[in-house]
Amino acid sequence: MGRWGQGSFIGVLIGAAALVVGSSLLGIGVNIASPSGIPLLLSTGDAGTLPSLPLPEGLTSVGLPEVQAVVAEGAGLLVDAREPDEYEIGHIPGAVNLPAYEFDDYFPEVVEKIEAASRLIVYCDGAECSDSVQVAERLLDFGFSDISVFEGGYRAWTEAGEPTEEGRP
Amino acid sequence: MTRLRALVSHPIAGAFCRVLVGGVFLYTAYPKVLHPDEFARLINGYRILHPDLVNLAGVTLPWIELMAGAFLVIGLLPRSSALVVAGLLVLFMSAGLLGLLRGLDIDCGCFFPLMLEHKLGWDLLLRDALLLLLPLQILIWPSSFLSARSTQARS
Repeated sequence: MGRWGQGSFIGVLIGAAALVVGSSLLGIGVNIASPSGIPLLLSTGDAGTLPSLPLPEGLTSVGLPEVQAVVAEGAGLLVDAREPDEYEIGHIPGAVNLPAYEFDDYFPEVVEKIEAASRLIVYCDGAECSDSVQVAERLLDFGFSDISVFEGGYRAWTEAGEPTEEGRP
Repeated sequence: MTRLRALVSHPIAGAFCRVLVGGVFLYTAYPKVLHPDEFARLINGYRILHPDLVNLAGVTLPWIELMAGAFLVIGLLPRSSALVVAGLLVLFMSAGLLGLLRGLDIDCGCFFPLMLEHKLGWDLLLRDALLLLLPLQILIWPSSFLSARSTQARS
C-alpha cells in the first residue's frame, strides 16, 4: 500500500477534482462563446423543448398545432414509433403503430395505410427519443415522401389535453 | 504469477494502457464536444438526470472526457486523469445498469455518433468493465514511460 501513501493519494484526488472542475468550466466557457451554444439550464416544463436535433435531409419537423389540424381533418397518417405495449395503452387517434425496433415485423401490417396516405407524421415519446427519426428515415429509404417528425411526440399531445385512443385496430 | 505481475506492472504496459484508454476517450469525446445538444438528448434518454440538468451534463461531460483523455495520452497527471476516467466509466456503467434494470430500450450513445443505433445492452457494460482495467493499471503502477511529466508518476 506504500504506493497509495496518504499524501500521494490526496494529491491524486486533488488533481482529479481540479481536472473535473477545470474541464467543466472550459466546456461551459466554450459553450457560451460558441454561436451554436445551447442553454445550460432548462426551466422545469421545458423537457419537451430540448434543443432540436437537426433532422436528416428529406424530413421536416411539425409542431402540435399542425398535428392537431391534420388529425382533425384526416389530412395525413400518424405513425407511432413507440413500443407496441405503449401504443396499446394510448396513442394519437388514427395513428398506426410502427415500432422502431420491430420495424420489419410491423411494416407489412401498416404498409397499405402508409401507401394510401397523402402525408406521414411520425412521433415517439417526446423530444428526447429518436425512434421517430429512425422510423422516418426507414420510410424515406423505402421511397415514401412527405414525411414529417412530430418532435413533441405523445407527451406534448397528452399534455395539451388532446384525446387519445386505446388498443389496436 | 510473478511473471504476470511483472508484465502487467511493466512501465511499457503502463504507457500502453495510458495511451489506449486516453485515445479511446479522446476519440469518443470529440463528437460529443462538437454536438452537446445531441449528447444531451441521449443523456435524457436514460431518464436518470432531471431534464433541467441534461444540457449542463451534455456540455461538461464531453470536456471532462476530452481533457482526461488528452492528459493520459501525453502523460500529464496520469493518476489523477486515470481516476477521472475510472470514475466516468463507473458512472456510465451505473447509468447503463440502471437503464437495463428498468427495461429502457434506448440508444446507448456510448460511441456516439458512430454507434448511434447501438442499443443499450449487457455487452456494453462488459466492454466498460474491461476498459476499466486500464485506468486501474495506471493508478496502481504509475509509469513515467513516454510521459510528458514524470514528477507525479514517481511520487
